[in-house]
Amino acid sequence: MKKQDKISENEDKAFAFRGKYLLLIVLITYGLFFIGNSQVAQLALYNSGNILMKILPVLLVVVLFTALFNFLLPSRQVAKHLGRESGLKGWLWVLIAGVVSHGPMYVWYPLLEDLRSQGMKDAFIVVFFASRTIKIPLLPLMIDYFGLTFTLVLSFYLLVGALIQGLLIELLYPEI
Amino acid sequence: MDKKQGDQSLQRSTYLKALRKSSFSFLAISPLLLGVVGLAGLFQAVVTPKMIATLFGGNVVIDILIGTLTGGSAAGNPVVSYLLGGELLKQGVSLYAVTAFIISWVTIGLIQLPAEVEVFGGRFTLYRNILAFAFTILIATLTAFTVQVLA
Repeated sequence: MKKQDKISENEDKAFAFRGKYLLLIVLITYGLFFIGNSQVAQLALYNSGNILMKILPVLLVVVLFTALFNFLLPSRQVAKHLGRESGLKGWLWVLIAGVVSHGPMYVWYPLLEDLRSQGMKDAFIVVFFASRTIKIPLLPLMIDYFGLTFTLVLSFYLLVGALIQGLLIELLYPEI
Repeated sequence: MDKKQGDQSLQRSTYLKALRKSSFSFLAISPLLLGVVGLAGLFQAVVTPKMIATLFGGNVVIDILIGTLTGGSAAGNPVVSYLLGGELLKQGVSLYAVTAFIISWVTIGLIQLPAEVEVFGGRFTLYRNILAFAFTILIATLTAFTVQVLA
């Protein structure tokens, strides 16, 4: 399928907001806190604002990234590089992507969902999430708090553990 | 020359379409993200580090479980988990529990579970989180044990 066809086909999907009920529940909870303990509610609101400001730049990067992926990689290519026949290379790419990915887990949901719909296998999503525990910019800080040996040993086990989790997911539900 | 320019403008319009599409998918998911951010802010306001510290009792096995559960339900930058973990170590909490705490802080997200279910489905979320939970305990145990052997 050509890039253009793929994009226009995806565009045809009806637009719908997701997570409306979650947001509603959260808003009601905030409302209740404002009635019961407005200090906590104000602090929570302040914290949320802070988190939002921090993740906005990451979100922007992920939006551009998703567009770039769609532009450069037609569905068949995604399936080839990140799907069933991807081989060892696919595992390594996802492992590296997880380690270098920035920000909280949920900002990456839309990109991963998009790639998944184009043929990326679930095992890779598991590997991506598991390997995110290693944060390259934070390694010096971890060494400072827990020592070099701890950091190296933990990083090693985390990488191996991420790959095993991916393999286990494939064994647990191989049909996906 | 004209053909080249035509190709370039076609590529640009294809990229713009892709950008529009990805912007729309983010707009669609924005209530979900806002909900998770709101929950994270609320958690930070309600649960203080002191409260987390009082949960650890001294039994290594139970403390690993507590470390995994508290880290998994916490929200925020991983730097906070290092800081808290360092404090917990000073207070005598075992390295096993503290390691579990800092791993599950990133890999398990009780707060973002509703969002994960919405995006990836219940089955995937269940399997992924069970695996993340089991591996947090396993990796924490192996790491703390290896560090102690090497020390």
